Amino acid sequence: MMWETAILIGLLFGAACFLILQASFVRILFGFILLSNAANLFVLAMSGRPDGKSAPIVGVAGAAPVDPLPQALILTAIVIGFGVIAYLVILLYRTFLDQRTASARELFDPARERPEEEQA
Amino acid sequence: MNPATLMILPVALPLVTAVVALMGRRPAAWRRWFTGGSALLQVVVAFALASTAWHGGPQVLAIGGWAAPYGIVLVGDLLAGIMLVLGAVTALASLLYGFAELPVGDEHPLRLPLVQFLVTGINLAFCTADLFNLFVAFEVMLISSYALLTLEADDWDIKQAFPYMALNLVGSTLFLVAAGLAYGLFGSLNFAAIAERSTALAGTPQLTVLALLLFTVFGMKAGLFPLFYWLPNSYPILPSPVAALYAGMLTKVGVYVLLRIFGQVLPPDLPLIHTLMMWLAAATMIFGVLGAVSRNFIRGILSFHILSQIGYMVLAIGLFTPYAIAAAIFYIIHHIIVKSTLFMVGGVVVVLNRSDDLTKTGRLWAVAPVLGVVFLLQALSLAGVPPLSGFWGKYMIVVEGLRQREWVLVGCALLAGVLTMFSMLKIWNGPFWHPEAAGGVHLADARWKPMTAVAGGMTLLSLGIGFGAEFFLRVAHEAARQVLDRGAYVTLLLGGGN
Amino acid sequence: MKAGQSYIFRAVGAVLFFLINVFAIYLLLRGHNLPGGGFIGGLGSALSLIMLSLAFGVERTQGILRTDPVRVAGAGLLLALLTSLLPLLAGDPFLRHYHVVLPVLGKIEVGTPLLFDVGVFLVVVGVTAKLIFVLARPNADLTALAPEEWRNYAAPLEEPIEKTARSESPAPEDDVP
Repeated sequence: MMWETAILIGLLFGAACFLILQASFVRILFGFILLSNAANLFVLAMSGRPDGKSAPIVGVAGAAPVDPLPQALILTAIVIGFGVIAYLVILLYRTFLDQRTASARELFDPARERPEEEQA
Repeated sequence: MNPATLMILPVALPLVTAVVALMGRRPAAWRRWFTGGSALLQVVVAFALASTAWHGGPQVLAIGGWAAPYGIVLVGDLLAGIMLVLGAVTALASLLYGFAELPVGDEHPLRLPLVQFLVTGINLAFCTADLFNLFVAFEVMLISSYALLTLEADDWDIKQAFPYMALNLVGSTLFLVAAGLAYGLFGSLNFAAIAERSTALAGTPQLTVLALLLFTVFGMKAGLFPLFYWLPNSYPILPSPVAALYAGMLTKVGVYVLLRIFGQVLPPDLPLIHTLMMWLAAATMIFGVLGAVSRNFIRGILSFHILSQIGYMVLAIGLFTPYAIAAAIFYIIHHIIVKSTLFMVGGVVVVLNRSDDLTKTGRLWAVAPVLGVVFLLQALSLAGVPPLSGFWGKYMIVVEGLRQREWVLVGCALLAGVLTMFSMLKIWNGPFWHPEAAGGVHLADARWKPMTAVAGGMTLLSLGIGFGAEFFLRVAHEAARQVLDRGAYVTLLLGGGN
Repeated sequence: MKAGQSYIFRAVGAVLFFLINVFAIYLLLRGHNLPGGGFIGGLGSALSLIMLSLAFGVERTQGILRTDPVRVAGAGLLLALLTSLLPLLAGDPFLRHYHVVLPVLGKIEVGTPLLFDVGVFLVVVGVTAKLIFVLARPNADLTALAPEEWRNYAAPLEEPIEKTARSESPAPEDDVP
């Protein structure tokens, strides 16, 4: 299981980096979602080899349970990631409405001029 | 009550304040009284904790009664106490400054709660002795800071929030990875447990990877050289009271954690990291101050200066002797007060001249000399002119650098000092010395007087640090001693504790 | 989001709303020793609100809630905080919990963690509902709130999102190729 997990984490990080470096807002957003999932998976992998172990639930008989702490950690990290991604969605949406573009390249184009204030 | 039980208050007080202020539907006078009162109480609590740590040594609070290394513990040593005091004082000053700047009705209903959430995260980062809890503290701080950044930004400026958020998101992800790695290596996330178990791993590649990851993450949050570009464009879009708080505290949380992690938690023999730290610090100083020279609006110049000053503190951490660590702590004390005051002065200039573009401001020395004196004292202190607070920190860093024969680094530090003086003169020549003001001088706008009064109060504090340097140096040396005493830390947390 | 066109969805949705919430509360209550808890229960309850806004439209759902969801979240946070600060009065450390056994319906063990979880439940419902309401707003035919009006809202994103609709310019989608 460890090799598969390692390759999966690597793929997720690679895909996330590729997407974040694109210009389109939607791709950047998906890149960050993948990035947080890759990190969560990495932490999960720290609970060790899961082969032949049971889930860490009180009262479930059977083999030795896996280390539950990384699962508690990623639960926290998922909740935090949920909040941050929700904020990112709204930030990108508002940037799109305010600046009339969905491309980061265009957004930070130095040739873009600040529009004149209406009252000035 | 037991002093250790009180240690939760720096975290709990701002959180309760934030929630109560959030429940108030509209900005009203009671919310200001309530938040201001709470901020005052936080200052008192922080002083109480610092003095407990100063007289009685570090305090430990095991949350929920679960002892380390299984439970989460908060540790209040002298360094944490100093940072809590500085944070509480800066937060109080920026609140009062904000109250002076805006009438009650014009305040955004979410500003007060969000600032208190931000303070919660900052204080938790200072107190915690657990790597994952530190991650949570950083996230509380960062999410509030994202929200504050965009809360009052206009349609055009909103895009500056995007690099800030993107870079900090990447940083948070790396932090999570580092926490996972630390758990995999040590089987615990408690600082003392990591400190105890990492000595056996000294010199192994695993430890180097972990140290490099942590250095990248906290260096990014502190604004170190290659990864600083989230800072200088995003701070100027903040309203000036919030900008004063950000400038004072946010990057310093990164420096504090660098100090804590590399001074106390990871083993001291990491020559690669220390060398990297010193050279990146030198690059940060030079590039930061060059950026400041290139800007032509006040808050832009000041934002770049934050970076260049961060360079000094990180250089001191990289030199890594008890003397240098004490210098870094003293520098943090000086810098937080001075930097937030300078941002406050920038805000007053905006009120008086209706602009912070250097070419459109002027005449302020003639009409408001008090403001000029405040600015001059703080600018000279930032540049490191002798009796003022900035001198002592720089002096100690340079002395330690010479002692270790790091001639190039010392040269960079001195050059950055000269360039700091130059860019401060740029500001002086604009709003204060320039004979004409394109936007006129709005002296009738009575807000500037209470705003200047708050900035003046902070200036008095900074003068006190400069002239009472002996006392503050004693405090800094004691704090550095507590940080570097790893054996006592491990015994305190793991050997029964409280 | 427009009110749903489907009559069936609306009829079923009104009933499902209660069923989902009963299940959410079940998840909340069993969470102390079994999988479940405040977070997952809160998400379930928030799902029921999403379903309502799909069936009846966002405005009516907001009307059903009667209050700004941010205040629900605030109340939940306050409850959780007070629960965790309670031990300070007894001189115990922050977040210490207490249990009592109530002789109702056999023996039920009730502890302060339940109160904490109820707080988490409210926070999750409030925050998620707020998110949905903000994101689900149509942005084409909205008029911005007047400045003296938006000050009465403790909501972060009510004003900025519709800002573009205030000017005379056409809806933003038309501008973007």
